[in-house]
Amino acid sequence: MNDTASKLPWYFTPTVVIVAGCLVAMVNYGVRSSFGLFTGPISEAHAWPRETFSFAMALQNLLWGLATPVAGAVADRYGSAKVLMAGAVFYAAGTLMMAFADSPMALHFGGGLLAGTGIAVSSFSIVMAALGRIVPPEKRSWVFGIVTAASSLGQFIFAPLAAALISAYGWQAALVILAASVLLIVPMAIPLLNQRPAASKLASTETEISMGEAVRSAFTHPSYLLLVAGFFVCGFHLAFILVHLPPYLADHGISKEFAGFAMGAIGLFNVIGAYTSGIIGGKYQKRLSLSLIYLLRGIAITAFVLLPVTPVTTLIFTASFGLLWLSTVPLTMGLVVAMFGTRYMATLYGFVFISHQLGSALGVWLGGKLYDQFGSYDPVWWIGVALSLFAAVVNLPIRETRAPKFATA
Amino acid sequence: MHRLALMLFGSIIVLWLVIMAALMRASALPPEASGVMLAVFEPGTSSDDAFAKLTRAGALPIRETAFGFIWVVSGDPPGLAGKLAAVGAIGTYRELPVSTNIAGCFAWADATVASSLQP
Repeated sequence: MNDTASKLPWYFTPTVVIVAGCLVAMVNYGVRSSFGLFTGPISEAHAWPRETFSFAMALQNLLWGLATPVAGAVADRYGSAKVLMAGAVFYAAGTLMMAFADSPMALHFGGGLLAGTGIAVSSFSIVMAALGRIVPPEKRSWVFGIVTAASSLGQFIFAPLAAALISAYGWQAALVILAASVLLIVPMAIPLLNQRPAASKLASTETEISMGEAVRSAFTHPSYLLLVAGFFVCGFHLAFILVHLPPYLADHGISKEFAGFAMGAIGLFNVIGAYTSGIIGGKYQKRLSLSLIYLLRGIAITAFVLLPVTPVTTLIFTASFGLLWLSTVPLTMGLVVAMFGTRYMATLYGFVFISHQLGSALGVWLGGKLYDQFGSYDPVWWIGVALSLFAAVVNLPIRETRAPKFATA
Repeated sequence: MHRLALMLFGSIIVLWLVIMAALMRASALPPEASGVMLAVFEPGTSSDDAFAKLTRAGALPIRETAFGFIWVVSGDPPGLAGKLAAVGAIGTYRELPVSTNIAGCFAWADATVASSLQP
C-alpha cells in the first residue's frame, strides 16, 4: 500500500485530497448562503415583487434536495470528481443567469433550476462520499466532521464577502465574481479524480450488490427509516430558525444589527460543533450522540422561549444552537456508512437529505402560517421542541451494524 | 489530524481577512458621495459626540450600531462623505447588507490602515 501511495502524484496524496474536498465544500455551501443578500438588489433593479426572487430560491432548495440522491448515484457509479466538476458548471451558469436575468422566468430557471441542480451535484455530501472511501475507517468520522466544518466556515465567510462585493462593485458584478468562485470547484476537484468507486475493490466487510437493490434494501431496513425520520427534524429546526428567528427577535425588541450579529454567531459556532461532532462520532456510538444533539436542541429552544428575550439570552441561544447546527451531518453520514458501507453512500445519504429538505420546507412554511394565525411564533417553537424529543427518541433504536444484505456472510 | 484542520481553517481566515480588507478599500466612498452610508469615527468616540458630528456635517442619522462610533446615515446633497470626513469620520462606506457591526469593524480596520499609509 505504501508502495502504491509513494507512486501517486502529490495532488493525489490524502492530505491534499482532504484539503481539496474541504475547499470544494466551503465554496459550494458558502456561495449559496450569500444568495439571500441579493433579494433586495435584484427585486429593486427589476421592480419585481420579492416573491419572484423567493420563488427562485424555493425552487433552488427543492432541486437541491431532489437532485442530491441522483447526483449521489452518478458519483457512486462514476466517481465524485467528475460529478463535482459538472455540478460546478451548472452552479456557475445558474449564478451567472441570476446576474443577467431580465424576466422572472429566466431568474427561476437560472437561480432556481440550474443553481439548485448545481448545488446538489457539487455538494458536500458528494465530497464526503469520496473522502469516506479514501481515508481509513478510523478517520472517516473525523473527515466527515472537517468537511462539514469547512461548509460551515464557507457560510460564515461568504456572507460578508458577498456583501462587500455588492458594496464595492454592485450586485451584478458581485454575482459574476461569485459565479467565477464557483468555477474554482473544477480545479479543486482534480485531486478527487483518483477515486473511482465502481473500479475500486470492495472492503472485506462489504458485498457486491446492485444500486437498485441497495436502495430497495435500505428502505426496508428499520434503522435507515428511523435515521430518515430524525433528519427531517434537523431540516425543520434549521430552516425555521434561519428564516423566522430575525423577525422573532425584532418582535421582542432586539435590534436588526444585534440580530445579524447573533445569526453570525450560529455560523461561527457551527464550525466548532461540526468538527467536534466528527471527532465524537469516531469515538462514541453515533446514534447516542445524534440523540443527545436533538435532545439538547429541545432544551435550548425550551430555555430560549421560557426566558426573557434579551441580547444575552439571544447570544447564548444562537451560540449553543450553532454548536448543534450541522453537527448532525457527520453522525448521519457515519450511520449511513455503518449500515450500508461506502459503495452507495452518496446515493443513500441523498435520500436521507431529501427528508431534511422536506423538513426545511415545512419549517419555513409552518412558521409563517402559524404566525399569521396566532400572531406569535410560540406554537412553532413548541412544535420544534416536540420534534426534538421525537428525533431524540427515534435515533436511539438505530443499530450501528451492517444491514443484512450489505454484510458479508 | 487536528493540526491539519487548524492550519487549513487558519489559512482560510487569513486569506479571507486580506480579501475583505481589499474589498473595503474598494468600497470606501469618494468625498463627493451622498445617500445612505456607514460613517465610522475613531473607536472610543462617544455616541453623543458622534451624533453631534453627524448633525454638523448635515447628515441624517438613520441608526446607531452596537458600537457608538459607527452610524448609518443619509444625506442627499453631494459631498456628504467629504463633509463627514471634515468633521472627523475616518471612513465612509455604502451600507453593507450584513450586520453593520461586522461591516463597521472592517471599515474601521480599513480606515486605520489607510490613515497609517498617509505621509
